Amino acid sequence: MRYSPYEWNESINQRNDYIEDKLKEGSPVVALTYDNGILLLTLRRSQRKIYEIYDRLVFSAIGNQSDIESIRTGAIDIAHREGFSRSPDDVSIQRIVGFAVSPSIKKIYADPYAAPVVLRALFAELGKTPAEDQFFIVSYDGEFTSNRRLATIGGTSYAESQMLDHLKSSTGVEVPTLEEALKSSIFAWAIGRIQTDPSGSDDDTEPVGDRTSEVKAFVSERLEEGWVVEAAILERSTRRESRYRVLKDEDLTAAIAFFA
Amino acid sequence: MSLLEPSSLGMFRDLVGEDAVPRPRPLVKEGGHSGADIDTHATTVIAVKYRDGVINIADRRATAGNTVMYDQAEKVMALDDHTLISISGSFAKSIEVVRYLRHAFKYYERSQLQAMSLDGKLQELSRVIANNVPAALQGIGAFIPIVSTFEVGGSGPRIFFYDVLGGQFESADFGAAGSGSAPIRGVFEYIIRTKGPFRDMDREAALRESLTMLEIAADLDTATGGSAKYLPAAKYIVEGGIHDFTEAEVKAGLGRA
Repeated sequence: MRYSPYEWNESINQRNDYIEDKLKEGSPVVALTYDNGILLLTLRRSQRKIYEIYDRLVFSAIGNQSDIESIRTGAIDIAHREGFSRSPDDVSIQRIVGFAVSPSIKKIYADPYAAPVVLRALFAELGKTPAEDQFFIVSYDGEFTSNRRLATIGGTSYAESQMLDHLKSSTGVEVPTLEEALKSSIFAWAIGRIQTDPSGSDDDTEPVGDRTSEVKAFVSERLEEGWVVEAAILERSTRRESRYRVLKDEDLTAAIAFFA
Repeated sequence: MSLLEPSSLGMFRDLVGEDAVPRPRPLVKEGGHSGADIDTHATTVIAVKYRDGVINIADRRATAGNTVMYDQAEKVMALDDHTLISISGSFAKSIEVVRYLRHAFKYYERSQLQAMSLDGKLQELSRVIANNVPAALQGIGAFIPIVSTFEVGGSGPRIFFYDVLGGQFESADFGAAGSGSAPIRGVFEYIIRTKGPFRDMDREAALRESLTMLEIAADLDTATGGSAKYLPAAKYIVEGGIHDFTEAEVKAGLGRA
């Protein structure tokens, strides 16, 4: 069967609507450089969301769990095969995302008979210095963008840009400490989540002024409902064999206390 | 393989293919070997359990026949955050094996979202050693490791040693491998009888006694390096993970404070 240009356009639009509608529900993820590494943070109800891919590579995504899993395991396979047959130094975010993840997603997206990949993914790579940290965001159509210092994924692009704005203004020019980074990330998560929260109001007006009290109330409500803060770091300097570490409750207490 | 195909169940050797698994490559023509030369593990590595964990020390000499090739070899290596492998034998083969095991364990943990069990890890190592038997019989690339680990929330410090066929044995308190290990068995017994068991010693005392054993091994075995040029490698594992002994601690242990 052949498509006319009009039908092709229609079909792509329907795909996008379908996917974006599903992504809307996703709980945002925040990633940023802090003084000794990279922090990824989200709040979740059940399923774990932040994953280690390789020595210096982490991944998180919103979307269909099965799609997230296949991208995750695929990336892990490629990274390990490459790191073992060449060197761990040859496993780079650019190669994993640019040559493996993105083309595979694009291929599925472009096939009208295949179920599209419902996912918005964030990959982060720890560099030798904060300036060398890299963040890649991959979309359901295979397109990807790269960032320095920070990146966010959320239910809508508007939510994402709101989160980015907050992170930029709250962390300033200096690279934050882990404590500051945790606080800013939870705050940014709330700002993103408020935009797309199904229980929230449909008020589309631009939020203005100090939103601290609104955010604090939103976060503590979620925590009461049983949401948990999930945070993981890649440490730039560590004596441990793994740089990746999931933060424990005691590491998060101080940051969470701010929202109580 | 497409990215979106189902993955293996964390089985690293399926991912990289059997060819990537460390194994012998026949170098000697059939019938051209002598099984008598199997013992080529020139070195001394020692693991002892002490009060809070397990200590691993090793000399730093790498030899080829009668020649000292390298005086800064690192023979105690981390496999994960709570496991050390101390190697004796072919250095090149050991490095390859350690690289393989690190990838295999991490691949399992990252893809399966749970750490490989201790038994699973030991099984993987046994298999690699067993695969290496033909090479060892040809007198090339024999290696015999000691594995020390700290089981958090389990039985604490544990030491495993191996024979050349991949047979695995658990030691109650002490493990040594390499050409210098036989002469110091008696020293170990002597220390226990005169100074009490290692498991009652603190870290400092246990390090001091282990270093004494290593120094004796260096005196009695040509393939074991002494501490005059480069300090021995010394690490310990406790509940919190793997630590390096500082240079000052090692010097103090050698009586050179």
